[in-house]
Amino acid sequence: MPAPNVDRALVEHVAKLACLSLSDSEVDRFASELGRIVGYIEQLDSLDTRDVPPTANVSVDRAPGRRDEVAPGLTRDEALAQAPEVESDGFAVPAFVE
Amino acid sequence: MHADWDVRSVADRVRRGEITAESVTSASLARIAEVDPGIHAFLHVAADALDQARAVDQKRARGEPLGPLAGVPVAIKDALVTRGVPTTAGSKMLSCYVPPYDATVVARLRSADAVLIGKTNMDEFAMGSSTENSAFGPTKNPHDLSRTPGGSSGGSAAAVAGAMAPCSIGSDTGGSIRQPASFTGTVGLKPTYGRVSRYGLIAFASSLDQVGPFATDVAGAARVLSVIAGHDPRDSTSLDVPVGDYERACGKSVGGVRVGVPNEYFAEGLDPEVEQSVRAALSALTGAGCIVRPVSLPHTRFAVGTYYVLATAEASSNLARFDGVRYGLRSLGASGKRDLRAMYGATRDAGFGAEVKRRILLGTFVLSSGYYDAYYLKAQKARTLIRRDFESAFRDVDVICSPASPTPAFRLGEKHDDPLAMYLNDIYTLPASLAGLPAMSVPCSATASGLPVGLQIMARPLEETTMLAVASAWEALAPGARVSPVP
Repeated sequence: MPAPNVDRALVEHVAKLACLSLSDSEVDRFASELGRIVGYIEQLDSLDTRDVPPTANVSVDRAPGRRDEVAPGLTRDEALAQAPEVESDGFAVPAFVE
Repeated sequence: MHADWDVRSVADRVRRGEITAESVTSASLARIAEVDPGIHAFLHVAADALDQARAVDQKRARGEPLGPLAGVPVAIKDALVTRGVPTTAGSKMLSCYVPPYDATVVARLRSADAVLIGKTNMDEFAMGSSTENSAFGPTKNPHDLSRTPGGSSGGSAAAVAGAMAPCSIGSDTGGSIRQPASFTGTVGLKPTYGRVSRYGLIAFASSLDQVGPFATDVAGAARVLSVIAGHDPRDSTSLDVPVGDYERACGKSVGGVRVGVPNEYFAEGLDPEVEQSVRAALSALTGAGCIVRPVSLPHTRFAVGTYYVLATAEASSNLARFDGVRYGLRSLGASGKRDLRAMYGATRDAGFGAEVKRRILLGTFVLSSGYYDAYYLKAQKARTLIRRDFESAFRDVDVICSPASPTPAFRLGEKHDDPLAMYLNDIYTLPASLAGLPAMSVPCSATASGLPVGLQIMARPLEETTMLAVASAWEALAPGARVSPVP
């Protein structure tokens, strides 16, 4: 496929998908840098991969699943200790439903 | 610095009672205080290091048996969580994070009676090849303070090269142990994917990440590997297979071992002094009875493109967890308005550095609707071809040797503003990562100006023993070639 034009609009679209609020100057910078990187990656296009299966992971052997048993984990206090904001024994976030 | 500053000498002398763990840890702390202000290998020095050491000495005084790393100071890459000890992954996002649990590797080191001396600097979230992407400032190469120690485990490499600890722990996703080992004249080993637990390693690219040791010598790295290797039910990719006798593999005869040399790794861009140094090591191995022959890995030139699609795709997904809710930084943005989406965006903008944002954007792009097949799926297929290259080569040889990096350590700032140039520097380490193979870097002769050069040795999956035998044979042949820790 033809290389996409990595412009400000594409960077802004992807940044929205990734939940990144970028400044104007960052958008300009990343558009130019990512354009070069994507241009380089285009070389993969020259590979004939018609009958090649994808590799998602390289485990030489299937690792066994863990037994489904109840075991001690973090206490509630330990789990909440690093939270930026805690409210009524839970992680507090800004309201997102009215 | 005392003469026997290697993992085995320290541990064995502590076990025999010839020296105390406390004296070793004191020496290590004094050395850190003396040289680290100029190197910046450490982000955090453990406040309880001497207590840990005294506990080892007390254990011995009570007549209890001591573990294989008794009293050995170990520096830990700040990508591994340590209970009650700050862990940042080199990021502002985690600048105030204190984990509530230990990574499995850390727990195993503690059980082996090691002393966790501190946490080492790294490129933010292990994304980089120079440690310059740390939010807390770069680490410098102990051999030349104007140069980078490599990355992303640059702090762990510099801690060993600067004689601040006889060994350290790093993580390697695309070369982040081997390249810094090569730049600093240390031994650095990336085990087979699945050999060492990733539980408690802050994830970068989960299908590639692997934890491994740095040490001053091959047998030291082997001993640390034997402590950290093995099945862990908490990591679903951890293999339930026997762990080899890595220490005994060191010193084994390499007569008849077939060593493959890939033509594609001696191509344009390779520094002539690096080539000369690596070829000299290969000649020496021939002298030791190895059968050195050419092999071909034809898809090598596609490794950088393949890796930077797959690793960034996985990273974009893994780093979604940093959202300002459960731990780490939270920012509401300039408006200060309590809005959830704005909080996510502002937190991630404030917490992540430029390289991390660049990779999240690239990874999100290659996974996005309309581009998935052309980039992500295509790269997964290219990964298959790179794997097949190795499967085919390993039918004729037992190990494959190459330079670990095309150049010696480059200058700080030299590639920092050119991300693509920085990525291309990883060309020799990426293929083994994509194929999940064990691979290590061992020092060979330095350049004329005294910069370390690393010989990379790659082996079949789970054959760390063969790799270590070759590494230690080379080390024994060329003791003069070893770049000593900086005095």
